[in-house]
Amino acid sequence: MNSTFEADKDNLRYAEYVLGLLDADARAAVAREIETSPEAAAAVALWQRHLTPLALEIADEVPPPHVWAAIRRRLRFDAPAEQPRTSVWDNVALWRWLGLGATAVAACLLVLTVTRPTTKVAPPVVTAPSGPTTLMVSTIAGESGVAGWTATMDIDRSELLVVPASPDAVASDRNTELWLIPEGGKPISVGVFPPTDPKRFHLEKALLDRLGPTAALAVSLEPVGGSPTGQPTGPVIAKGAIRAA
Amino acid sequence: MPATSPAERDELNRLLQRTAAGDERAFAELYRRTSPRLFGVCVRVMNDRDEAEEVLQEAFVTVWKRAGSFDPALASAVTWLMTVARNKAIDRLRQRPDMRQQHDVDFDAMIDDTPGPAHDAENDEEYRRLRACLSELEQQQRRSIREAFFGGATYNELAERAKVPLGTMKSWIRRGLLQLRACLNP
Repeated sequence: MNSTFEADKDNLRYAEYVLGLLDADARAAVAREIETSPEAAAAVALWQRHLTPLALEIADEVPPPHVWAAIRRRLRFDAPAEQPRTSVWDNVALWRWLGLGATAVAACLLVLTVTRPTTKVAPPVVTAPSGPTTLMVSTIAGESGVAGWTATMDIDRSELLVVPASPDAVASDRNTELWLIPEGGKPISVGVFPPTDPKRFHLEKALLDRLGPTAALAVSLEPVGGSPTGQPTGPVIAKGAIRAA
Repeated sequence: MPATSPAERDELNRLLQRTAAGDERAFAELYRRTSPRLFGVCVRVMNDRDEAEEVLQEAFVTVWKRAGSFDPALASAVTWLMTVARNKAIDRLRQRPDMRQQHDVDFDAMIDDTPGPAHDAENDEEYRRLRACLSELEQQQRRSIREAFFGGATYNELAERAKVPLGTMKSWIRRGLLQLRACLNP
């Protein structure tokens, strides 16, 4: 255990790190401590919260547009900044509306068909025309009928996005795990997700093939890291049918 | 930079969380709303616009990749973003010791003990507390801490600039920090 003196010395070092006083080696050492020690991370975060407001005194400066272009290039975003992607999938208003709708109508199912703008150039060998995108939606609700989460599946992109509506509080030693339940089949794990934040899953083909109007989604409480058995081991706290248009 | 209202704070937290979920639009909106503040800080620390642009770029690339580690219980989105940008700037200063020369400005002239009238920084509760606590420090301590924050200088550089022995500079800042901590965490 640290003596008060040593704890003080550590704490000062964290403050020095936050101010930017340390040399490269000492900085790297603190950065490693932050990664490995929750106490160090908390102490550094506290100093950051204390000292960062000083930045309020610095006048804003609008960066030149080429900085944003360079960021997009480095992150390999497909479309340049001047032509933002207009897919429904990225439409914040839609998500807000979905979340709102889910809370209000509880267990009601929302079905949407939307036409994605055809921005992609067709491949030389055309197999399928780019038709309307089908979004499948499920409201995952608890026994009370209150929607915990809304899940939306984009088949073309093999993605599932789960967005919190009014999830119940989850104990810190439990994880919420999302399951796909095919009709008459065993649950298939989609993955563990943070109960109060949006989470995007990539759907494997095996999961995609079973996604349909007869399947359901469910959320169970599992040990940290998810079910150790591959099947739900804790109570199912919410479920919902899947509907496609 | 202007202070953040509680509503704006919530909105920025939300945008950062959506960025963590891979939402490019939320990320673009986050950039639009916060890049002027972050760039201001980058320019101040780097004292060079080209370098500041590089740092801002790196900072936002990191924001996109590491947004998942943002925890609103520990810090607001603005504090988190500012921390990413300042860390990038300071790391770059450490890698490029030649940058220091450009920073060699008059110690007294560079220190602005009062925020300019253009800022409504006084509206920010945490800033007000920090400022009240800073005002209780001796002037040397306060100036050194502020200079360290704004310039990302090491103890050696600060001692050179203030023309005092290294030990004196360390003791000013460390005593100041301990006093500040006692004042901020009563």
